[in-house]
Amino acid sequence: MSLENEKLLELYRKMLLVRAIEQTHGKLLQEGKIQLMSHFGTGQEAVAIGVAGPLRQEDILFGTHRGVGEYIGKGMTAKDIWLEYLGKKTGLCKGKGTLHLCDRKVNIPGLVSSLGSDFSYAVGTALSAKMSKTDQVTLYFVGEGTCNQADAHPSMCMAALWKLPVVFAVCTNQFCEFAYMDEHYPTEDVAIRAAGYGMPYDIVDGQDIETTYKVTEKAIEHARNGKGPYLVEYKTFRMALHHSGDPGEYVKSEDLEKWGKRDPIDLCQKKLQDRGILTGERDQELRKAVQTEVDSAVEEAFSGPDPTVDDLFEDVYAQKEVI
Amino acid sequence: MAKTISFLQAINEAMAEEMRRDSSVFVLGEDVRIGPFGQTAGLVKEFGEERVLNTPIAENAITGVAMGAAMNGGRPVLELMFCDFTMLAMDQICNHLGQWRYITGNQYAVPITIRTAVGAGFRMAYGHSQCLESQLLQAPGLILVEPSTPHDAKGLLKSAIRSDDPVVFFEHKKLILGGVEGEAPEEEYTIPFGEAVIRKEGKDVTVVAFGFMVYEALNAAQELAQEDIDIEVIDPRTIVPLDQDTIFESVEKTGRLVTVEEGRIRGGLGAEMAALACGDYFSLLKAPVQRIAAPMVPIPGSPVLEDLYLPNKDSIVRAVKRTL
Ligand SMILES: Cc1ncc(C[n+]2csc(CCOP(=O)(O)OP(=O)(O)O)c2C)c(N)n1
Ligand SMILES: [Mg+2]
Repeated sequence: MSLENEKLLELYRKMLLVRAIEQTHGKLLQEGKIQLMSHFGTGQEAVAIGVAGPLRQEDILFGTHRGVGEYIGKGMTAKDIWLEYLGKKTGLCKGKGTLHLCDRKVNIPGLVSSLGSDFSYAVGTALSAKMSKTDQVTLYFVGEGTCNQADAHPSMCMAALWKLPVVFAVCTNQFCEFAYMDEHYPTEDVAIRAAGYGMPYDIVDGQDIETTYKVTEKAIEHARNGKGPYLVEYKTFRMALHHSGDPGEYVKSEDLEKWGKRDPIDLCQKKLQDRGILTGERDQELRKAVQTEVDSAVEEAFSGPDPTVDDLFEDVYAQKEVI
Repeated sequence: MAKTISFLQAINEAMAEEMRRDSSVFVLGEDVRIGPFGQTAGLVKEFGEERVLNTPIAENAITGVAMGAAMNGGRPVLELMFCDFTMLAMDQICNHLGQWRYITGNQYAVPITIRTAVGAGFRMAYGHSQCLESQLLQAPGLILVEPSTPHDAKGLLKSAIRSDDPVVFFEHKKLILGGVEGEAPEEEYTIPFGEAVIRKEGKDVTVVAFGFMVYEALNAAQELAQEDIDIEVIDPRTIVPLDQDTIFESVEKTGRLVTVEEGRIRGGLGAEMAALACGDYFSLLKAPVQRIAAPMVPIPGSPVLEDLYLPNKDSIVRAVKRTL
């Protein structure tokens, strides 16, 4: 499963950008410059970028709380993310969503606070796409822990029952908050649940960007061609802690060591170098450019305008008077 | 030109007219192709199965499906059979539905209408009889509608379907199933939210009654008239937004306020109204506000007990007299 050179390089760049955004977030937290809670996706970049990559602009993506991978993958910019993260008036959500990223330009309708509540939204967007006879696909990206949420069941059921153009992309990063997956699941895999709804599924390596991209592309085409929903489970490892307040003692060091050897960015870098697409020098330039992009996004966001008291009451209803 | 229609017909006609007018409008819910109470009956014949969608029983998820469709250009009318079952969809309704526009910075509106049947009196006991409107008062961003006449049901439901805000529309079972009839224009009409109707003018006491309780209040008015007590009966029609001006003007005239709802008393609609009165009309009040509502007990199945549970004409008459 190989991708064209240019494509692979583009995905590599996006993975670098994602990691730079998250590392910068961590640094700002550490320096006490921001309070914004973090849920980093370090080590999972090939999943997030791989699932969002094959989507078209008009396709819909529901993302997760973990990192910015799928958002960058779908076309959100570092600048837009930081303006919103810092709660600025000029943010995508006018500073009201912050971590709940949403960007209509690239068809990301928002992120819920209670995990899994949006399982059914993906069914709804796919339903309306089918009703209006477009070939738009919805991709629902979700953590394996969240797949235990009650709505996962009727949502997958309805998607299969109505043969809707939706892809369920499950990121199995081995954790749900502070516990290993085996405290949450009696089975090795989540994907086998799809079989209960007569839905096709794949279980794939989440560290290799070419695999994640290609398999997702196949699932999306399946959905786009009117064949109904598809589920893909990507096996990866959460190298970061759950969030900025996680004590972290529960993570086994041998796991970090084992998965650390298969870092998705390192794997992709090696591929690019082996194929003669990337030199060490070009790589350094790329990394520098990405960090500069993030730094200037952060700088611009810090100097962005704060919302005012009027904004507090704005956008509750279509017409302000109703309140 | 006016015609006589039933409450049930009013709901049905509102949906049919809006579906004819706007192809993005569709109906979904459990058994809506037949219609458990009949509101959606016949729609499938005219509009087909694609726009009249039977769903599995999963209230929170089907509410989410409606929301997702609305984020993507649809205008769903979702039936949640019994108001009691809206509690299974509380996550969507209270955590997300009314807040989505705000939290996305006005990028995504969620124009859905949730219709649900409220009310006791059918000996269906605790979980198929409740009036839980006040449970939704705390959720920002929602419109809450509760009509008492066929005329209002039709006009308000059409407004709800056209609204760019999410609406929860309460239909009382005694109105749907009781064959209640009334006059409505032949021609197209809608009714704006936040406009109360004075069902009976009066000078002595202001009685604000919600939904089916309007009828109990009107019965109380007749009885009180025999004792020369002249009450004013206000039907707010929409709980949110509430027509505070009409209520305020009435209390300015009477100096007395009685609130009447079928839901329970603690933290109810009356509690909210009383709080408003204590703040905004305190100096107008000549007597303490009286709240008529159901007691803080489950709804019992026994006919005798259910009747004792429900607020009625007699409890309204007593409350009015307490203010005098
Ligand atoms: C309904 C709900 N319950 C609990 C939480 C708290 N919470 C936030 S992230 C998280 C872990 C979710 O695990 P998973 O879906 O596997 O995603 P991951 O964090 O591993 O990316 C939990 C429990 C929440 N936000 N919402
Ligand atoms: Mg996880």
